[in-house]
Amino acid sequence: MNIKSASECEDRRILKFINFKLPNYYKKIGWIGFTISFVILLSTKYFDGDFSILIELLKRLLLVFLLIVVMSKEKVEDEMIKSIRSQAFSFAFVGAVAYTLLQPTVNLIVSAIVRPDKVIFEDLGDFQVLWFMMIVYLVVFMKLKKRA
Amino acid sequence: MKNSLKVERAINNYTQEELAKKIGVSRQTINSIETNRYVPSTLLALKLSRLFNKPVNEFFTLDDED
Repeated sequence: MNIKSASECEDRRILKFINFKLPNYYKKIGWIGFTISFVILLSTKYFDGDFSILIELLKRLLLVFLLIVVMSKEKVEDEMIKSIRSQAFSFAFVGAVAYTLLQPTVNLIVSAIVRPDKVIFEDLGDFQVLWFMMIVYLVVFMKLKKRA
Repeated sequence: MKNSLKVERAINNYTQEELAKKIGVSRQTINSIETNRYVPSTLLALKLSRLFNKPVNEFFTLDDED
């Protein structure tokens, strides 16, 4: 194998990895799993007991199922869908970065106004950031798809 | 960019669904191209050109703003 074909092979492998999408039926699996996890997560509020480990586990599951939905192909995955997908991804990425930077600052300002004696600076957790990013992606994607 | 895809489709007697199937896209994509909400790639334009047996610039033309 010469250097050119080795580099082409490497490029193809990278592109295959970047463009990887799950088959369309995974979308249904993702939404069903997400709904079940969400309902269980909500129902823990109505029962007594220490569910902290279960809650953390369910939060991770919610993110995994959302990721499955995000990574699933549409019924017809053509170039317009790919274009809409990349627009939604870039919007969600910028939105999540802005949210991560602004939200703690807004919280800090509000806490300084409400309780100047006890100002708290709290960073966002990974769950909040990832949740926000995927929800924004899905909302923007659906909106753009409906508009097209 | 303007296009006369709708006219070409009517000349060739294709529905949006039929045209979409022939070039491997969704009906929604054909509709978006016809209503100027989506500009297709060169690949898709060339597929349409092959199907209509006409050069691309006969049914895709530049606007004054382009």
